[in-house]
Amino acid sequence: MGQPVGIVLVSHSERLAHGLRDMLVQVAGEQVPIEAAGGTDDGALGTSYDRILVAIDRADRGAGVLVLTDLGSAVLTAQTVLEDRVANDAVLVDAPFVEGAVAAAVLASTGADLDAVTLAAVEARDVRKL
Amino acid sequence: MSASCELPVVLPVDLHARPAAAVVRVVAGFSSTVEISHNGKNAKAKSVLAVIGLGARAGSTVVVRGTGDDAEAAVKAVVSTLENTE
Repeated sequence: MGQPVGIVLVSHSERLAHGLRDMLVQVAGEQVPIEAAGGTDDGALGTSYDRILVAIDRADRGAGVLVLTDLGSAVLTAQTVLEDRVANDAVLVDAPFVEGAVAAAVLASTGADLDAVTLAAVEARDVRKL
Repeated sequence: MSASCELPVVLPVDLHARPAAAVVRVVAGFSSTVEISHNGKNAKAKSVLAVIGLGARAGSTVVVRGTGDDAEAAVKAVVSTLENTE
């Protein structure tokens, strides 16, 4: 198996991003590169261009990176980072933050490619909990 | 020639996120389509959220069904995974 697709979690909250990362590592294992990019540069509520850029670069092992966001300006800041980034192997996905990240990370742990991992995150919107 | 195979398994633990993720990784190694059924609900075994969404509890029975060339091996591998997760 080649390198797994990387996952980046963009949240307004540093703790939310890190907590979700902990969950993903437990279900998907340590082999999948999962990076948290939560909060502003000084850790307050908000988003950070630099944190997102660093997280994407860290998660990129050559198979591409899937970026998930919580809300609003997290989406806008992530879009700006992706537009500016030279390597164009990262994709922003429209998916529920927690469910999409779990589905994507588990599929990434099977060695699936970026298209399949992206589709798993998108499909998370339609899976009922009850 | 497409084969099919179906086996029941009594769950030793709740079918929560970690065992569901283990099932997804196992079925990724087979070409057959595998489904898990519980209480009238069906989940594609390759979808971790669908498998979690079955809400299957420890002690209950789920049915693993596979269709495809390696259906028997795939179903047996999933059953073994479900029987041996903690």
